[in-house]
Amino acid sequence: MLIIGEKLSIIAKRVREAMMKKDKGPIQEIAVRQWKEGSGIIDANIGPAEDGGEELMKWMVTTIQEVVPLPVCLDTTNASAIEAGLQVHNNEWGSPLINSTSNDPERFPILELAAKYKCRVIGLTVGKGGLPADAEERAGIAAEIMARAMEYGVPLEDIYLDPLVLQIATSQDHAAKVIDAIKMFQEMNDPAMKTVVGLSNISNGCPRHIRPILNKYYFLMLMNAGLTSAIADAHEMAEALKEKQLFDDVLAGKQIDDAEKMKEIKKTIEVIMGNTLYAHSYLEM
Amino acid sequence: MAFTAPKETYSGKVYSVTIGTGDSAVTFGGENVLPFHAFEGITPSRPVIAVEIQDVAPADWPETVRKPYEAVSNDPVAWAKFCQDELKARAVALRLVGTHPDRENRSPEDAVRTVRDVLAAIRVPLIILGSNHAEKDSAVLIAVAEAAKDRNCIIGKAQEANYKTIAAAAMANNHKLIAMSELDINLSKQLNILISQMGFEKERIITDPMCSALGYGLEYTYSVMERIRLAALTQNDTTMQQPLLGDVGMYVWKVKETSAAEADLPHWGALEERGIAWEAETASALLIAGAELLIMRHPRAIRAVETLIDELV
Amino acid sequence: MALSGVEIFKLLPKTNCKKCGYPTCLAFAMKLAQRQASIDLCPDVSEEAKRVLGEASAPPVRPVTFGVGDRAVKMGEETVLFRHDKKFVNPCAFAVEIMDTLSEDDIAKICWQVLESEIDRVGQKLRIDAIMISNVSGDAGRFETAAKAVAANAAGVPVILSATDPRAAEAAVKPFADKKAVIYGANALNAEAMAAIAKANKASLGIAATSLDELAELTEKIKGFGVEDIVMDSGARKAKDIIEHNTLIRRAAIKKGVKSVGYPVINFMQRQDSLLEGLVASVGIAKYASIIVMSSVEKWKSLALFTLRQNIFTDPQVPMQVEQKIYNIGEPAAESPLFITTNFSLTYFIVSGEIENSKVASRLAVMDCEGLSVLTAWAAGKFTASKIAQFIQESGVEKDVPNKELIIPGYVAILSGSVEEKLPGWKITVGPREANAIPAFLRAR
Repeated sequence: MLIIGEKLSIIAKRVREAMMKKDKGPIQEIAVRQWKEGSGIIDANIGPAEDGGEELMKWMVTTIQEVVPLPVCLDTTNASAIEAGLQVHNNEWGSPLINSTSNDPERFPILELAAKYKCRVIGLTVGKGGLPADAEERAGIAAEIMARAMEYGVPLEDIYLDPLVLQIATSQDHAAKVIDAIKMFQEMNDPAMKTVVGLSNISNGCPRHIRPILNKYYFLMLMNAGLTSAIADAHEMAEALKEKQLFDDVLAGKQIDDAEKMKEIKKTIEVIMGNTLYAHSYLEM
Repeated sequence: MAFTAPKETYSGKVYSVTIGTGDSAVTFGGENVLPFHAFEGITPSRPVIAVEIQDVAPADWPETVRKPYEAVSNDPVAWAKFCQDELKARAVALRLVGTHPDRENRSPEDAVRTVRDVLAAIRVPLIILGSNHAEKDSAVLIAVAEAAKDRNCIIGKAQEANYKTIAAAAMANNHKLIAMSELDINLSKQLNILISQMGFEKERIITDPMCSALGYGLEYTYSVMERIRLAALTQNDTTMQQPLLGDVGMYVWKVKETSAAEADLPHWGALEERGIAWEAETASALLIAGAELLIMRHPRAIRAVETLIDELV
Repeated sequence: MALSGVEIFKLLPKTNCKKCGYPTCLAFAMKLAQRQASIDLCPDVSEEAKRVLGEASAPPVRPVTFGVGDRAVKMGEETVLFRHDKKFVNPCAFAVEIMDTLSEDDIAKICWQVLESEIDRVGQKLRIDAIMISNVSGDAGRFETAAKAVAANAAGVPVILSATDPRAAEAAVKPFADKKAVIYGANALNAEAMAAIAKANKASLGIAATSLDELAELTEKIKGFGVEDIVMDSGARKAKDIIEHNTLIRRAAIKKGVKSVGYPVINFMQRQDSLLEGLVASVGIAKYASIIVMSSVEKWKSLALFTLRQNIFTDPQVPMQVEQKIYNIGEPAAESPLFITTNFSLTYFIVSGEIENSKVASRLAVMDCEGLSVLTAWAAGKFTASKIAQFIQESGVEKDVPNKELIIPGYVAILSGSVEEKLPGWKITVGPREANAIPAFLRAR
């Protein structure tokens, strides 16, 4: 399981301020922490980065790689910022990952970059306008992306298919559809296609105390479905792995000693599978 | 080859709710199937339409719907009696819109007087609605809930911002309660949970997932209602088994289609018929999606929807 | 029943030869499952596999086209019972009945109403789609005359010919040969003759049954006569029966794969009272009718029904969008506030509703972001400083707001500096994150 550390995101206030001020301190501190917690790639999400995106991405890549011997995931809609990042990326620790191409024509040029710089790229299975309705539609889009990748000369081994995790608080039915999609994606090539999710989005909009619970158990369910990588909180995922045995026991219908934990796992599975309607207080019901 | 009817049985059931007292009480809900699916389960009650009146003259209503009430709408008591006696309304919904700070800013005491007078004048059940101003509604609804004690009214609407005070007032005075959230099934469930965690019986709640008018987001209300009903029936979700409210009139009679003159938009057809159809079509769509309680305004729209219900039950 | 991608994959050669244009057989299978690719692209697939696929890929509700040219109406192909699961595929057609007992003038008048019914709503052309001519006179000659009158006065409008007498149907169908008309009225007594007429004139056949049992029998029988383009009437007329029959038919076709009811449904909603007729029609729109027959065309009724049909058949996965422009809420003056938000319709409804609640006349600039909400649009690079600046400049709103203040959603507070840079002379104010805080925000100003 490859964890792509998610914490260097413009959405976080502290990171945003450090990016604006070009203050390396917080960026490097967070990068190092994620590395130590088990991340294999560090995500650098600079947002749409319309102005000065190139400079910012270069600065992020070098700032991160100054202190961490890992590749960086270049996360922005701005293609020229991605190219700028690729130019300074130190490939000694692994090839960079681009986040992302998709079935939206605006995102096709990303594949050109992936071919030119021989790097890995996330293929987000969405098109222009409208979300995929189910796992089959996601697989249909994945087929398109794979065909296009071949056209551009990007090997399928370098594609990470991303089914797009949606918020459980507003799009509950997609939680299980994403799990199905992960299973289908792998079958679409031999050797199996690689897969990735933006994990924490599952609990976006949920109360703070249940976010890690949803993140962890959703991660374990996806892992059981064969997920190969996740953009996630490395610390949380390490915690999840510690609980994997308990989780699998509950899933298999076994009793576990910790009754509270068992209830928590069971209820969370029910919500993820769409057998119980989600509400912020679902654990209290 | 004979046709084998693929009938469904569901594990859940909608709560049956009775409002009002004595011979005039009405009951809605209670079915264990999707709306009007009597062929595969029980549908003990027909949906109820409450006729909307308000505490101040409806100067902001379009002419089409103001006209039928012209003679009575200056006085909520006369208006309520007209609905009960002339329109044969099974319930009346009194909206205390005049208490809104940006409107007449009437006081809770004014509201109490109106509610007392209206209750004294009619036998049919009364639904008492605030002005949809979270803070002011708290004060107003606490006062009127007490004034209406033991008349088994519906008080509303409790929302995330003010549910505690309003639910407490409804509980203390033996009323039913409308719980409203904004077109979000998960928040709707959450609000029902929070209200029942206060000790308010979930069987006394009416869920309002927020109405929208035909052409103005109706499909959102439609699908939220349909999904709530499916959760109630197929998942036996006890926090989603409340009857559903469609507060139709308020949302319909502010859209352009109910007020734009035919002279300006000739291809839209006759204004009066159009406005009435707009309200009736919105109501019928929501009935099919799962609404058991409707609040409506125009007498002809109400009559047409009642006739449709006659055909549906 | 439709096959899944994995099931289809098992029928493919599994050579990953890429000749179909897809990198692997499974990728191709996924496209086949979506009906977005044709099996003919595979040069190596066996005839046996093609046959199995052909049968299995037949949709649970058979597609039937009604009429020709740009007025043709597609029916069937539905895959779900509830619109929130997946888009309802083909919006139902509205038809108006013309009885053959009417005078030529009256027929011409209704034809004219049908032609005049077309309106534009949110970018879609909506209209009364079809005319049903019914042989209430029982006389073949009158029926033929009425059919000719409709053909002359409403050329190109798809028609349904309602008759139980095959001679009448045969006479009236002539002006519509090869026009994909529907001949409605096939029953146990006339099925063979009616099927022959439908076949000869390339028309679809409408079954007039009196129960679901009889309906299922008749579809099989008619299929046996070589007619597959069928529309079905189970005999339901009351709203209650329409819900019951249409629901059972749709469930049987989709969930059980029952082929004998896997065809589009025609419902008859004619009522004395036009308002009531419109309400019964709403039941059909929501509950699985493909053709709704009514007795009259009134503009107000059409507008309401067109709108309801549009609402019900909207794709729940594609966010509804409103038009990009500056919306006036109340009657804004020069100093009234100017808000900006995205064109996701729910965002628009809620923001404009809250501004209305505040009773402060305002302007609301709604920007095309492909129907995404504010935060999603920002993350997707569609609600960015330069795009906002460009939209505001091109909208020309500047001349209406001399104090040049723009209120942006609190969620994109981060953009305030760069929007200000890109809109020289403008003051950018950060508004609330959630719409429900707008009234308080405006009061505090």
